[in-house]
Amino acid sequence: MPLNDTFLLPTRRHFFKRSAASIGAVAFSQLLADPKLQAEAAPNARAKRVIYMFQSGAPSQVDLFDYKPDLAKLHGTELPASVRMGQRLTGMTARQKSLPIAKSTWDFKQYGESGLWLSEQLPHIGTVADDICLVKTIHTEAINHDPAITFFMTGNQQPGKPSIGAWASYGIGSANDNLPAFVVLLSRNTYTSAQPLYARLWGSGFLPGSHQGVKFRSTGDPVLYLNDPAGSSPQARRRLLDSLARLNQLQLDQAGDPEIDARIASYEMSYRMQMSVPELTDFSNEPESTFELYGEDARTPGTHAANCLLARRLAERDVRFIQLFHRGWDNHSRLPVEHPKICKEVDQGSAALVKDLKQRGLLDDTLIVWGGEFGRTVYSQGALNGTGYGRDHHPRCFSMWLAGGGVKGGMTWGETDDFCYNIARDGVHVHELNATILHCLGIDHRQLSYRFQGLDQRLTGVEEVEPVRGMLSS
Amino acid sequence: MIGPHELMKEHKWGLQIRALSLIRAVTFFAVTFFVICCCMPSAEQAAEPTKPPAYNHDIRPILAEKCFRCHGADSAAREADLRLDQRKSAVVSRAVVPGKPDGSELLRRVTSTDPDKRMPPADTQLTLNDREKELLKSWIADGAEYQEHWSFVRPLKTPLPQIERAEWPHNAIDHFVGARLQEEGLAPSGEASRRALVRRLSLDITGLPPRLEEVAAFVADGSDEAYKKVVDRLLKSSRYGEHMARYWLDAARYADSNGYQYDTERTMWPWRDWVIRAFNNNMPFDQFTIEQLAGDLLPNATNQQRLATGFNRNHPITIEGGVIDEEYRTEYVIDRITTTSTVWMGLAMGCARCHDHKFDPLTRVDFYSFFAFFNNVPERGNSGFAPKQKAPTFEQEQELADIATQLAAIDKTLEAIADQVAEQQAQWEATASKRVRQQWQILSPTEMASSGGSTLTLLDDQSVLASGAKPSNDDYELTFALSNPKITAIRLEAITHESLPHKGAGRAFNSNFVLSEFEAAVVENGASDKPVPIKLASVSADYSQKNYEVARSIDSNLGTGWAVDGPTRKENATAVYLLAVPLALPAESILKVTMRHRFGSTHSIGRFRISVTDDPSFNLPADVAQALAVAEAKRTNEQLSALREYFIGHIAEGEVGRAGRRRAELQGRRSQIESSFPETLVMAEMAKPRETFMLIRGQYDKKGEKVTAATPTFLPSPPGGEKIDRLALARWLVSRDHPLTARVYVNRLWQQLFGIGIVRTVEDLGTQGEWPTHQEMLDWLAVDFMESGWDVKHIVKTIVMSSTYRQSSIVTPQLLKRDPENRLLARGARSRLPAEMVRDNALAVSDLLVEKVGGPSVYPYQPPGLWLEINNRPNYSKAYPTGKGDDLYRRSLYTFWKRTVPHPAMAAFDSADREICTVRRSRTNTPLQALVMLNDPQFVEAAKHLAERMIVEGGDGLANQIGRGMEIVLSRPPTGAELEELSAYYRIEHGLFREDSTAAERLLSVGESARNQDLDLTDHAAMTSVARLLLNLNEAITRQ
Repeated sequence: MPLNDTFLLPTRRHFFKRSAASIGAVAFSQLLADPKLQAEAAPNARAKRVIYMFQSGAPSQVDLFDYKPDLAKLHGTELPASVRMGQRLTGMTARQKSLPIAKSTWDFKQYGESGLWLSEQLPHIGTVADDICLVKTIHTEAINHDPAITFFMTGNQQPGKPSIGAWASYGIGSANDNLPAFVVLLSRNTYTSAQPLYARLWGSGFLPGSHQGVKFRSTGDPVLYLNDPAGSSPQARRRLLDSLARLNQLQLDQAGDPEIDARIASYEMSYRMQMSVPELTDFSNEPESTFELYGEDARTPGTHAANCLLARRLAERDVRFIQLFHRGWDNHSRLPVEHPKICKEVDQGSAALVKDLKQRGLLDDTLIVWGGEFGRTVYSQGALNGTGYGRDHHPRCFSMWLAGGGVKGGMTWGETDDFCYNIARDGVHVHELNATILHCLGIDHRQLSYRFQGLDQRLTGVEEVEPVRGMLSS
Repeated sequence: MIGPHELMKEHKWGLQIRALSLIRAVTFFAVTFFVICCCMPSAEQAAEPTKPPAYNHDIRPILAEKCFRCHGADSAAREADLRLDQRKSAVVSRAVVPGKPDGSELLRRVTSTDPDKRMPPADTQLTLNDREKELLKSWIADGAEYQEHWSFVRPLKTPLPQIERAEWPHNAIDHFVGARLQEEGLAPSGEASRRALVRRLSLDITGLPPRLEEVAAFVADGSDEAYKKVVDRLLKSSRYGEHMARYWLDAARYADSNGYQYDTERTMWPWRDWVIRAFNNNMPFDQFTIEQLAGDLLPNATNQQRLATGFNRNHPITIEGGVIDEEYRTEYVIDRITTTSTVWMGLAMGCARCHDHKFDPLTRVDFYSFFAFFNNVPERGNSGFAPKQKAPTFEQEQELADIATQLAAIDKTLEAIADQVAEQQAQWEATASKRVRQQWQILSPTEMASSGGSTLTLLDDQSVLASGAKPSNDDYELTFALSNPKITAIRLEAITHESLPHKGAGRAFNSNFVLSEFEAAVVENGASDKPVPIKLASVSADYSQKNYEVARSIDSNLGTGWAVDGPTRKENATAVYLLAVPLALPAESILKVTMRHRFGSTHSIGRFRISVTDDPSFNLPADVAQALAVAEAKRTNEQLSALREYFIGHIAEGEVGRAGRRRAELQGRRSQIESSFPETLVMAEMAKPRETFMLIRGQYDKKGEKVTAATPTFLPSPPGGEKIDRLALARWLVSRDHPLTARVYVNRLWQQLFGIGIVRTVEDLGTQGEWPTHQEMLDWLAVDFMESGWDVKHIVKTIVMSSTYRQSSIVTPQLLKRDPENRLLARGARSRLPAEMVRDNALAVSDLLVEKVGGPSVYPYQPPGLWLEINNRPNYSKAYPTGKGDDLYRRSLYTFWKRTVPHPAMAAFDSADREICTVRRSRTNTPLQALVMLNDPQFVEAAKHLAERMIVEGGDGLANQIGRGMEIVLSRPPTGAELEELSAYYRIEHGLFREDSTAAERLLSVGESARNQDLDLTDHAAMTSVARLLLNLNEAITRQ
């Protein structure tokens, strides 16, 4: 069995004699030698990486994406019972006596050659209309934030399952040798009553802990514990690591356990990470044009725009899964006031990222996903007057958009009814969306499984689902 | 995570995966970020099966994987009405014709070349390989015998196999392991060195490394009993209970926060301490089980037994505004089922929530019948924290018992000298009551103002009556001229009046009042006109309403106040405010009193009177003063008792006084303890149980047929005649007939001690779980466990006493090739320490570790901003309150566990997230771990103190100091090459720090604890660098 030789090989070499390239080659041949992994690293992958801009709190599809001009006539009238069909409501509006229809607060405009209708609140996203695939018919099962966002990120409403980025890391691993496969970027929160986030959204669940997302932070060390202790220096760190490697090698020679070799390598990797992350997060070498594209916000770490720029830099370095979170969309009240603020926070950066990747030739193999955990109701929460009203959670149909690696640009998928309440055709369930994302990465979602609690667990659940092929470019 | 069927299927690529994971290890990011340790092959395939195929071992895995989905136990999914999981139906349908493979439809179908006939159907993407077809054929030819799944049959002790190396076995374990090795043509490794053994034992049994003297003692002890003595010593250590508890906390999904999105704090640490104590006291595992699952239902359940039931309240609880109660309550019940079945039965019952289990003989009816056991908690889905129990911790309980004993003795003493007491008390009362009557000087206001416009009228007895306007809130301001300007206390009497509602003392419609704040100030004659506030030290009252204690009238909080149960009690009430410092003012000074009523709805005092006293020694509690003011004959029983208590505790002299003082002290301590009982979540049973229904597709709002509590039908039934409730369930789990519980726990103990279970899938011993590498040994240990009276320490000891355990863990190339994961146990086990032990080890070797057992969770260092960064909700969120002093250096199982923001240094090392039950952690190797070990202040600070130990304890010379460091960290001296490397490293660091003393100072300033200033700065800094190196050694964080 020749494999055994290759696997013993590195342990017999002295650490410093190893060349990264040769090991890479061995690893790659190894990868192809394995039938299962061969399937995973499928040649039909359209995207090498994913950038997922999650809009936590749930943007209003009524006001932003799903154009229903006729609602203006029905403004203030009661949502017909025939539309709601006794559908369950959250504890927040279940006892509200009246459910008056609230038309979109803003006008819509047509953008691009495709003539995509979008809210005037998203002018920048409008400029990439021809690159995006707007899906109007996403639907979910949960009606509250925690279960809904957990469902999107892990395929299950209750805690305990791996996040989509962890699945991707597990399935196809990393494509670079000094950064993690799965990076998480959080916008600094700007809205006091925004919904909290939780580590499980980028956790590894029952998968090995190594697949959990690594948070890059906008304050303090960009990666936790990245910086040397006070009184130390990069030279001191190098000396320590060299000495440590020699000592561990002595131990390896004596105890013969290949895990020691793995540990030596992990320290080397940490060194490379320490060397590469500061350069990665330093925007000073970005030209002015970058900030014209992403907006002045991009100069402030922790903004959505800065994270979009950082996402581009991570994509350039072949990080496999880049997960952004932006909070604040949960406008149960004052939506007409709050939504524009948050649109302003995310609009330019989101669009800039698409354009920037495109101009760098990276959009073709980067899949971009943009959206929140559910939509918002067409009826108002609270009395419909002035700007005090808001919208409750709406799981039955809402909009997301995708762009880049594997999806068609300039198209709209699915139609909702006249009330933006139910799906008229081509609904896309969360599991189908996730199956589609995996498909773009070249992963058959049915094959990506892990035995836990007696079941072959999958991101996409136990029921059969298919990727949405109609959204895919040929 | 590979079941036996997969092992067979993946016989070839299993090793490839292993190889790949190591390649991953060395290339790391190049392929993936880490080593994956959990998809390695088992020893099962190290040896080709030579025996004829057996159903359990060879056939069921194939059928389960390829056929049972449509032809198994799940009646809803069954196709063609064909069942292959039961011999009878398989034979009747002629799918299987025993002895005649060619006549068996099963074999015809799986070998068919016609795509329309071939099974499994193409769309399942399942196929059988040649080997699997061959196995089926040979099994059918042999008569197609079915077997019950091994773990569902009661375990038995089989006779110990004899082995050629008759001298090797120390106990039964070695007979089983030795026999298997012999069969495989392998020999056991030699015994590990003494130093390695003592370190291994200490880490395995206590979770901490051995102390130097413990290593030395073992090395020096030439007696036959030396090893056993170490084991016994370690099993007696209270660190053992902490270490064992740590594993249990993962299984119990213990946390200090509520989980879900707001993830607020909860108090469950008393439950955690219960677990530690139970392990330390070696509570038999059957009792341990019963108390945690149903302690509340035991006859005359104690507080501690009820506390134990927190086990099944450790699940997350949501407080999200919009959630539907029943949806989440259902999830809590399901969590209990998943956790309980995993922890005790090693079964994944959760699968049967929506369907009959595809593989195990577990039906939906079984699932919901099990559900019924946990469905009767009087709880809610949203904010479902009740039921709770306020109960003393074990320590408090001990102390209360101790106080009770002491009080009883004192009472006995007082009883014996009752005459003396009575005499002394009578004397005191005579003078005291006289003084009390003369004590208070009633003041008459010179000015009265009401902020709310009420009319304030001075009555003849110098009390003030409010009338007229009925403002919602009202502040009274009163001014008094002081004739005797010496004051030690101010008295406020609230007095009833006919004009007030219901003739009470308050102005509210229900005759209550709430005095939000009582303030006093003086204008000293001759000084400025500005009133100077008087600090009020304390206050007592003869009556206070619950939650409206009189102290709340001086707590500077207008949201709280003093009330007197006006609706039910229309009586006078008196409050006495004691001044922090007695006042002695010039004559003609002025006292100002402000009474703020901010409760709303006119909760103001209707009639009141202010008095002052200057008696410096006479700060009697209000009830005592009240009692003394009443004529002796008219005193109520309460008043008599108050007088007696006060007299004995504070006034009496001589023997009575001594006893009395001690008595008061004890009583004070008792009430202090009683008011600080922690409140934890516990189980309780509703008087009328909820009805339980099957839930269609597991959805909370889709009810199907009604079911009642019952244990799964494929397992032995509980004894008849008993009430079938949670208690019966718990007893059933630990009955001698139960085939799973003992196996499951012994298997987990094995995993704890060898890094991998006898059945790798410790969470699943069902048909989808891995086949045991040594089934007879597991069964033997399980039976032994039960026979020992479920003695956990006995099993731990049995395992660590074995020769198998004591083997050297050196990995030879031959063994690595033959059995990379050491499933055959031809060597000792080795693995990276779990997260908590990585940190505890650093604290221990640096002598920073604070070995206090139990108590509230603590907050060691963590990078700033982590909590608020994601848990951002005002009123629910707070910044991580980094601890100080000892709290920084406690064992890691005491670190506050916030589920949604786990401590990053723990998460980096594969800790469980505690959102769900975890009985097996992954063990990975990542650069993030290196960053923690190198840069986390906790580790840098530990290095600083380890360096101190090296210098101070090592004595003269670098070699001695480095040698000392190696001994402390690795329990062994350095080799020549190591010493050379470390010395060279030290010298370079020393040279650089000598040049840069600022850098040295900065390095040594990491961490809250101060460095030993007696040491030379440069020496200390350089040695700290060496110590960092030692702590980062692979060997330092490896149990080997």
